[in-house]
Amino acid sequence: MTTTKREKSLIVIQLSGGNDYLNTVIPYSEGKYYDYRSTVNIPQNKVIPIDDHYGFNPSMGPVKSLWDEGKVAIINGIGYQNPNRSHFRSMDIWHTAEPDSIGKEGWLGRAIRDIDPQGENVLTGINFGRGLPRALACPGVSVASVGDLDTYGLFPDVQDEELRMFTLEAFSKMYGGAAGRDPMMELLGQTGQDALQGADILRTAPAMYSSSVEYAPDSLAQNVKSISQVFHANVGARVLYTQHGPFDTHAGELISHAKLWDEVAGSVGCLMDDLKEHGTENDASILIFSEFGRRIQDNGSGSDHGSGGVAFMIGGAVNGGTYGEYPSLAEAEQIEGDLRSNNDFRSVYTGILEDWLGLDAAPIVNGQFEKFDLFKS
Amino acid sequence: MISNDTALMAHLLRRAGFGANRDELESYLEIGYDGAVEALLNPSDPGNMPDDLIRRYHVDQSELRDLPSSSAYWMYRMISTSCPMEEKTALFWHGLFATGYSKLNQARSQLNQVEMFRRSGLGSFEDLLVELSKDPAMIVWLDNNENHGASINENYGRELLELFSMGIGNYSEDDIKGCARAFTGWTLGNAEYMSVRAAKDSIWPYGRIAWHFDYREEDHDDGEKTFLGETGRFNGEDIIAIIVKQEATARFVATRLFQFFAADEITEAGEKTIEAMMATYFSSGYQIRDMLRTLFHSDYFKSEEARFARVKGPVEMVVGAIRMAGNYQDPYLGIEGVANTMFYMGQGLLRPPTVEGWHEGAEWIDSGALVERVNFVAKELSNVSSPGVRSIIERLEAGADQGVLQPSELADGCLDLLGPIQVSEETRSVLVEYASRHGDLDLNGHQPGDQAEQRVGDILRLVAATREYQLA
Amino acid sequence: MSTQTKSSEIVLDYVKTIGIVNNGYNGRGFANPYDIAVGGDGRIFVLNRCDPLRASAIRVGICNLEDEYLGEFGRGFGAGDEQFAWPVAMVLDSRYRLHITDEHNHRVTTYDTSGDASGNASAKYLSHWGKPGTGDGELNGPAGIAVDSSDNLFVVDQHNSRVQKFTSDGKFIANWGSFGGGDGQFNLPWGAAVDKDDNVYIADWRNNRIQKFTNDGEFLAAFGNSGEGEGQFQRPTSVAVDPEGFIYVADWGNERVQVLGPDGSFQMILRGEATVSKWAEAYFDSNPEEKAERDISNLKPELPAHLNTPYHISSQTEPYFWGPVSVSLDREGRLYVAETNRHRFQVYQKR
Repeated sequence: MTTTKREKSLIVIQLSGGNDYLNTVIPYSEGKYYDYRSTVNIPQNKVIPIDDHYGFNPSMGPVKSLWDEGKVAIINGIGYQNPNRSHFRSMDIWHTAEPDSIGKEGWLGRAIRDIDPQGENVLTGINFGRGLPRALACPGVSVASVGDLDTYGLFPDVQDEELRMFTLEAFSKMYGGAAGRDPMMELLGQTGQDALQGADILRTAPAMYSSSVEYAPDSLAQNVKSISQVFHANVGARVLYTQHGPFDTHAGELISHAKLWDEVAGSVGCLMDDLKEHGTENDASILIFSEFGRRIQDNGSGSDHGSGGVAFMIGGAVNGGTYGEYPSLAEAEQIEGDLRSNNDFRSVYTGILEDWLGLDAAPIVNGQFEKFDLFKS
Repeated sequence: MISNDTALMAHLLRRAGFGANRDELESYLEIGYDGAVEALLNPSDPGNMPDDLIRRYHVDQSELRDLPSSSAYWMYRMISTSCPMEEKTALFWHGLFATGYSKLNQARSQLNQVEMFRRSGLGSFEDLLVELSKDPAMIVWLDNNENHGASINENYGRELLELFSMGIGNYSEDDIKGCARAFTGWTLGNAEYMSVRAAKDSIWPYGRIAWHFDYREEDHDDGEKTFLGETGRFNGEDIIAIIVKQEATARFVATRLFQFFAADEITEAGEKTIEAMMATYFSSGYQIRDMLRTLFHSDYFKSEEARFARVKGPVEMVVGAIRMAGNYQDPYLGIEGVANTMFYMGQGLLRPPTVEGWHEGAEWIDSGALVERVNFVAKELSNVSSPGVRSIIERLEAGADQGVLQPSELADGCLDLLGPIQVSEETRSVLVEYASRHGDLDLNGHQPGDQAEQRVGDILRLVAATREYQLA
Repeated sequence: MSTQTKSSEIVLDYVKTIGIVNNGYNGRGFANPYDIAVGGDGRIFVLNRCDPLRASAIRVGICNLEDEYLGEFGRGFGAGDEQFAWPVAMVLDSRYRLHITDEHNHRVTTYDTSGDASGNASAKYLSHWGKPGTGDGELNGPAGIAVDSSDNLFVVDQHNSRVQKFTSDGKFIANWGSFGGGDGQFNLPWGAAVDKDDNVYIADWRNNRIQKFTNDGEFLAAFGNSGEGEGQFQRPTSVAVDPEGFIYVADWGNERVQVLGPDGSFQMILRGEATVSKWAEAYFDSNPEEKAERDISNLKPELPAHLNTPYHISSQTEPYFWGPVSVSLDREGRLYVAETNRHRFQVYQKR
């Protein structure tokens, strides 16, 4: 299957645990920041300035380089009304685009369904990590969850390659057996074959991949490398998802947060280099988000759950710049000691769905939201 | 050949438990089907892994501050109990009265709810609904702590009627209001502080503080209510007394029990069985135990139609495989990872996706889940150092002609001892072909982990990977 | 709240609570503390057993009675040097060396905590010794550990149902014990202590009693039996003995601490009466809405009948001990009770 123009893919890096906005994009010229964050702050001379008011966390060097190239969109003050400070609930809200009731379908699950309504390509959406994030879940939508790309597939514990092949053959025969008997057996048969097929294809991805980029050994970098391998294997993967954490820095934040962003920025930097090397910089865009930001005042060692966060959209086809507004630290503007968000996350989703993936956004995000102009046309 | 008695007993144990290894199966066969039904429905001492041992080594399961520890804690119970029906019953009610961690951030209180299901899950449905209404995890889950005499919150009142008893179409909006009013004041101790902590996922300063029921009389709307045609100054218990009298409730309970313990799909014969269970519901005074007795003794349940008529949920897959292999019978460092596999397969204990619980049957199967399911079970059952697998090897040797098994005997033997599991001709022929790879298997003088034993492990792996194994 | 019988010769006054749960990777707070060792210089060492999600943060925290968090050491989860899998207990010898047992790695790890070696904020790793087995000097699940006046170590070898005596460098000296309920027998023993006469006390966990031995392992006495009453225990995990011979027992299963006289006579029960620690105060300063609700709450509520076990009561009553797994003493007559489920320790002062 050759196409002259490659379909656009979305890569999502979820920061799990509540990334501290204030120490990611730092209002270093604002006195109140240092008042509230008397212990857990980044000194002015350590911040990587974006402009005279805001700067990046010192660990975000690679992101700054991409920013300078105009490839980073910073969405300031992103969130939703009536912020929820519980990890699971808030992440569910982001995953299902349903702040007001309990959603059952993930926004990306729905997107995958719209992209491939007949389910012809079992690899349209892939999660890198075990278990399926709710964001990708949708009844009838097949999504592979790849814990480890090198060993992905059935019977990974069988060391003997020959035995494993032999067993996979038997599996294939059992699951390809007589159809049309029992609907359940039919479903199992089809699903088993999909799984085999998906695994067969995915297994070839690392071998087909070649790059001069060296990814770090941490788990995120390895997942991002797998994303790159699969993306460049051209298997038709349109949504590639992974997550990193824990960003839940209630204590010892300065050290943990720095290390985590070192890993995130490093992975993103490598990925962008990789895309560039393959000439695919304009074919993938990276969304980085977290389920909430953290409290304005620190607790002496870290910061606690807050609201109103920051998200990033990074890619060659992204319109770099800042979007939304940086929330005010003034007491009158706070929500019970937290940052007040000024744009709904579904606006960003809408932009991604419509302008990047070419889908109808409203049914997926359960409403109309004014989008930002995040992508070059 | 597999006797029908054995196959029937295995079927009963898959439904009223998590399946059974051959030793368990034989001990139930000794007391016969009727005896087995009674034993299962009257759980006595579960003899599970002692709590003090679990808590000594797993400090996190002593505290239960987080979800992974709590799943593991319940899993230990399921894999070591000698009263599997008690756990199956708790799992059934947990799926039905689905209460989720995400809003509560209170695993200890959720596990207290599960303990209540063990205590009251086979008794009167009326008593169970009263206990449920007093369960603090349920109260917070459905916002009944926000249900005040001066300002009603209908969430619990509505779901009690819609999802936990009669179902839509059997009551009016006014009935919902009356119901909600009757439950005002049914809250938890220190409700405001606990709510804030739940909403913030607060573990500070000293970990979690568990919940208990509190009745605030001053918050209760004591006025006259009309509910399903009856009028009175109803409190919660009165509403429940009216609910359980309704035929719609009987049908609801019977149907849900049927779908969990008998079959995902309801055929005509199944429908008749449900009606019989409804009759028992009334004649026994709403006793769940009696309804299940009716079910387990029904012609339908014992018929071929009911065999393998359910898709195993992830919990059944994981727990069933562990019990068959005989693993993790002592505190094991890393048990949370094992418990997590149920979540990766789509069924995280204590975190049903919504108040509707899990959608079972075919919805358990998608390519990601199927890979997890097959891989986990295949790995458990192919490990020849596990006690349960060793037991299978011993039995195969004992049943073999002079210790030698032909490929078809090896395949059939494994299918038998892992179940017995019924497979199609096609599946069986693939298994036999696979077993034929190295010709006859001589188990004489086999040593732990040697080639002969590995061959058995390999067949067990493939059986565990069959389509049929996915079914209960 | 403490109960004191009329004949009690000992009075313990509650002093304060130190702690807060640490959900992060470093910094003030504890994660399921399992033992405490108090140095003569005012430093308090707290062993964090940690939960699996945060196992990479397994470490020993150092603080003092002024609520200063001085530092920490340990390299997280594993079998490498300075790593731990299931750390249980620790003891300081006369040379500032801290010995820590690990019941999964079957070994004892030694640190030098003298200020010269590492400064106040850390400790210097020296070595670890011990290997799994049943032979003399081999370990199967080392739990409690105590030191005598000659710096000999007594290690409770739980799965081998015995106590083993070593030099402080881990050279085997002697052992005693077997599985059972009789004198000198053990059933999954846990904590250990040594008194001023170098007698050895063992918290015989599943036998619900404390046993006392001479320094050579000769049985002297057994105190307590199964139950919830005075002088009874339910899974005692730790024991400490003060210079006057009073015996402090962490009665874990009953969620309390009991004090016995030198003759084993019942003296008092402590149920725990934790207050807001300094670190907790800082948390509440940043979270005033939570504080406001807490202030109008009843932290010692009445509970329904089915939640009437000590464990359940403690899970709902924040001031009470919950998981009181270790009792330690300092040289000024203070008692430290580490609570594994509450991430804190409560300090009492003997009058």
